[in-house]
Amino acid sequence: MSRTLNPNELSDALASVAGRIRRSLAVVHNGRRGAGAGVVWRSDGLIVTNNHVIAHGKPRVTLDDGREYPARILAQDTEIDLALLHIEAKDLPAAPIADSRGLRVGQMVMAIGHPWGQRACLTTGIVSGLSQVETRGQRGSAPVIRSDVRLAPGNSGGPLINASGGVVGINTMIVGGDISLAIPSQLVEGFVQQALGELSGAPA
Amino acid sequence: MSNDTNILAALSDAMADAAEKAGAATLLVSARRRMPASGVAISPNLVLTAEHVVERDDDIRILLPNGSELGASLVGRDPGSDLALLRLERAAAVAAQAASRPARVGQIVLALGRPDSGGIQASLGVISAMGGPVRTGRGGLLEQYIRTDAIPYPGFSGGPLVDAEGRVVGINTSGLSRGASLTIQAELAWKVAETLKQHGRIRRGFLGVRSQPVEVSVTQQAALGREQASGLLLVGVERGSPADSGGLLVGDILVAINSQPVSDPDELLALLTGEVVGKPTPVQVLRGGQPATITVTIGERA
Repeated sequence: MSRTLNPNELSDALASVAGRIRRSLAVVHNGRRGAGAGVVWRSDGLIVTNNHVIAHGKPRVTLDDGREYPARILAQDTEIDLALLHIEAKDLPAAPIADSRGLRVGQMVMAIGHPWGQRACLTTGIVSGLSQVETRGQRGSAPVIRSDVRLAPGNSGGPLINASGGVVGINTMIVGGDISLAIPSQLVEGFVQQALGELSGAPA
Repeated sequence: MSNDTNILAALSDAMADAAEKAGAATLLVSARRRMPASGVAISPNLVLTAEHVVERDDDIRILLPNGSELGASLVGRDPGSDLALLRLERAAAVAAQAASRPARVGQIVLALGRPDSGGIQASLGVISAMGGPVRTGRGGLLEQYIRTDAIPYPGFSGGPLVDAEGRVVGINTSGLSRGASLTIQAELAWKVAETLKQHGRIRRGFLGVRSQPVEVSVTQQAALGREQASGLLLVGVERGSPADSGGLLVGDILVAINSQPVSDPDELLALLTGEVVGKPTPVQVLRGGQPATITVTIGERA
């Protein structure tokens, strides 16, 4: 297989993917010290983040354009460490969600978040493994995406995206210093839909 | 998908293809008490792995990518290069393909491993450096090795480092340099495997001397008829050794073996290969300032 490859084209493609996902990236403050990341999951104000990011205090959300909102916690799932927040905003740039079930080991992924407070920091790597981990809760186990992207505190709740810029997971945990674990988008979408289903009909 | 990401998606899919192709030849090797390690099939029934992960000679279990488990026996080990060759109880593996070109610094590579039954694992990096020669202990000398920044996850020892097309560039191991990971080049690894297959071990030559590098004076170089700034002063000759039997003496300055100049202990080690074992070999020394050639039948290192 031989074809010409323009390295600048590759760099431009990366920069363009990074630029687009950044608009759907939020900072989630937990009301006390520290902050994590979040993803605009729906344009009508739904934000997904890790539960451990909002475990203490009242969350606030800052969007990429600088607007800041108090957030209401709609649902929490400690077993898979997810939380669904709502902010009073409309027409937000929702992130494109990709189907994590099509992932393959070796595929390129990028993480974006706020490691050590550095806003919208991009790191790249590949899918290192697709495995099942034991969880404490009703499920007993859950699928996770292992990747070799570099994560640090502040990446939690931020998106793991594929080469087309679609969200394939939520970066959740670092194991052993260099194994990054993300909750697959398929599981996140299920959590969001279940939360919305339970909420529908209930008074706002 | 917009146009500008096509190239990224193509790269992404190419890397996944590489992981899948080489992953089919990457096996789980269970031959130690702690977590299993990895191995690379080089033929349907032969598997290369890291020597240090083969803690036992019997009851070696292999897990194939399709989930089936089978036994394997030890063909041989080479602690010097930290490689071991295993034979599967039946020919059931998919053989890996070795890269045809030598590795280059900057090349994109994937490190692969199969340390558990949860599927193939991979990490991405580049070839960071080519190093060597380095002594690896127990008489081993690696002429060249590869360093990569791909993360060596636990259980990756014995697994392959592959190029962007899934061809094996080398075998990863953390057993050679105090736990830091390095990669044995595929060419050497395949060669070691071939020797282990034929002889069950890697033969290394044995001379039986202790030596230290010393300067060779200008006058002595003139007597040798070549430029050679240093040689090896023999400070000990083991009684009954090939060196002793051949007539080498303490005080001789060893300057060449088989007409190859020797100026430091690593060069001596590199020349004492399996090929010279048992062969009468010309050893050139400076004795009393004058060149002399003494024939020594090289022995085999135990």
